[in-house]
Amino acid sequence: MAQVQPVLELTGVSVAYETPKGPVQAVNRVNLTVMPNEIVGLVGESGSGKSTMAYAIMRLLRGNAGVTEGAIRVLGEDIYGMDPKTLKKFRWNKMAMVFQSAMSALNPVLTVEMQIIDTLRVHKPEMSRAEAQRRAGDLLDLVRIERKRLRSYPHELSGGMRQRVVVAIAVALEPDLVIMDEPTTALDVVVQRSILDEIQAIQAQKQFSILFISHDFSLVSELASRVAIMYAGRIVEIARGDSLSLGRRHHPYTEGLLRAIPELTADDVVIEGIPGHPPDLVNLPSGCAFHPRCSAVMDICRTVRPEPIVAGETLMECHLFTKQEVSESGS
Amino acid sequence: MALDRDPTAGSEAQAPLVAVEDLVVRFPIRTGGKRQFITPVDHVNFTIGAGEVLSLVGESGSGKSTIAKALVRTVEPNHGTITVGGLDITHIGGRQLMDYRRNAQMIFQDPFGSLNPVHTVEHHLAFPVRKYRRAGRAQIDYEVGALLERVGLTPISEMRVKYPHELSGGQRQRVAIARALAANPALVVADEPISMLDVSIRAGVLSLMNELKRDLGLSYLYITHDLASARYFGDRIMVLYGGKVMETADSRELLRRPTHPYTRLLLAATPGNRHRGPLPEVSNGAPDLVEGRRGCPFAPRCPAATAICSAEEAPTVEVSPGHSVVCHHTET
Repeated sequence: MAQVQPVLELTGVSVAYETPKGPVQAVNRVNLTVMPNEIVGLVGESGSGKSTMAYAIMRLLRGNAGVTEGAIRVLGEDIYGMDPKTLKKFRWNKMAMVFQSAMSALNPVLTVEMQIIDTLRVHKPEMSRAEAQRRAGDLLDLVRIERKRLRSYPHELSGGMRQRVVVAIAVALEPDLVIMDEPTTALDVVVQRSILDEIQAIQAQKQFSILFISHDFSLVSELASRVAIMYAGRIVEIARGDSLSLGRRHHPYTEGLLRAIPELTADDVVIEGIPGHPPDLVNLPSGCAFHPRCSAVMDICRTVRPEPIVAGETLMECHLFTKQEVSESGS
Repeated sequence: MALDRDPTAGSEAQAPLVAVEDLVVRFPIRTGGKRQFITPVDHVNFTIGAGEVLSLVGESGSGKSTIAKALVRTVEPNHGTITVGGLDITHIGGRQLMDYRRNAQMIFQDPFGSLNPVHTVEHHLAFPVRKYRRAGRAQIDYEVGALLERVGLTPISEMRVKYPHELSGGQRQRVAIARALAANPALVVADEPISMLDVSIRAGVLSLMNELKRDLGLSYLYITHDLASARYFGDRIMVLYGGKVMETADSRELLRRPTHPYTRLLLAATPGNRHRGPLPEVSNGAPDLVEGRRGCPFAPRCPAATAICSAEEAPTVEVSPGHSVVCHHTET
């Protein structure tokens, strides 16, 4: 395989929040790469650190949060080594983000057209107003909204349309990487599906990479070529999207998640939750953070944290697996 | 499930626990200064047998939450009748309504909003026990312990004194379930009880609700937008769109033989389905709820729609026993 430069590369990234109860390690030495044109899913429960990671990549962490170690590179450039001016140009031109709540991502007192033109002209000052206006119409075509909606205010749009506008703004400057943080969570299933179909179509047409963050396992495994599973700030497994079914060997947490979703059309549905509840990040369990909830727990899990085993594009962080097993299941 | 009480099935062996007939709820809205009515629930019929779970599936605006509110009578129906346990509760009030609500308890979607942050778990459970069971202090103490044990919140002594913020989402929802149980209800109306919980926690809460159904013979109206959990928990599924019933069937039957075009669309859009390719819909607008609309609310989006669909009410066609479809183009 020829060396292709990854679009996104996280090496040993940690993010901590300062809290009155002490520092909380929300993201803990995470390694992840996203290749050009690749859709990578990031799945985890609330508090697993997935959104914090997204904000860290965009260098949007504020206040009491900060990256404490590691490097984040987008297109080979260190995001945290940039001066603010370069960063400002880099954001949206090279990497953009779709936030969960479209209502708060859009400005309620500006029309759709004004918001799109604003974005275009702030990040590409050389673009003329007429050109920006033309582009705004094209962008609405792209996300299949009638052009007359350019004159609408966000509150006049349905939830699905608002989220489509946010997607349109994210891809407005043809970035190489788009981070999508639960972009369809608040929407109805039919709307969700049609937006996902559109995102896939736009991605295929415009050729960019997506880091798709979600708590919905079945949705992500359909969309992404690879899925990273986060638990308590660690990526515990990176698996191929098409391998995410029961019957394949996975991290016990991944298997637990798979068992927790009722299968839609199978004849006899048995679902099983994972016992216990997500860990308190201030007070993480020793060893492997998942060990108190794990059905396959061994003595070593309580004391020694497993090291990530990387095999090609997959990763496994569990004492149950040997290097050989990981490369076999990953190939 | 022995208690299949579809009124169209014709057998009237034992009256169902809940019988809703021709239910209409309308709300006034103001459009451009003109007073109009919308009908979020438009001539809906269904029954729930004792010990049965009816899943109500639909998108936002389909009327599923309004049906729930009508059933626990926080909303008064404008038309039709609701009979629960032989009692017509459509327009009751005062003492009668209070007595009824003890029988019909509700579990809400948001376990963060449905518990009072300044009260302990114990307080949340002791209140309904005192109110509904007229128990003394020792009795209350005992009942609260039993409820906590019943919903799996152990160790009991630790859980009693906790405040909502000290609990995880799943634990809070268990407190909400215990609080509903405190009144000894026959019917539980659960409005999206798991949609705000983490995936790993959902299965546990669903299993608990299943156990309670089995052990206490509870009936549920289970409201969800997720066909997979509707199928998992529900004995029967009723699909709603724009305030009208589109299709009703046994859960397995509905997923095996989805017949209404809207059910097919919903199924195609649900993650985990093998459906590929464009969705079977011709537009993606929201349903028109304004009173006086004609025909099938799904017609504007329906790939099978013809002129009759937007002109006339669709007939209810029974495609097999207990499986009814409200569509002009049902093939039997």
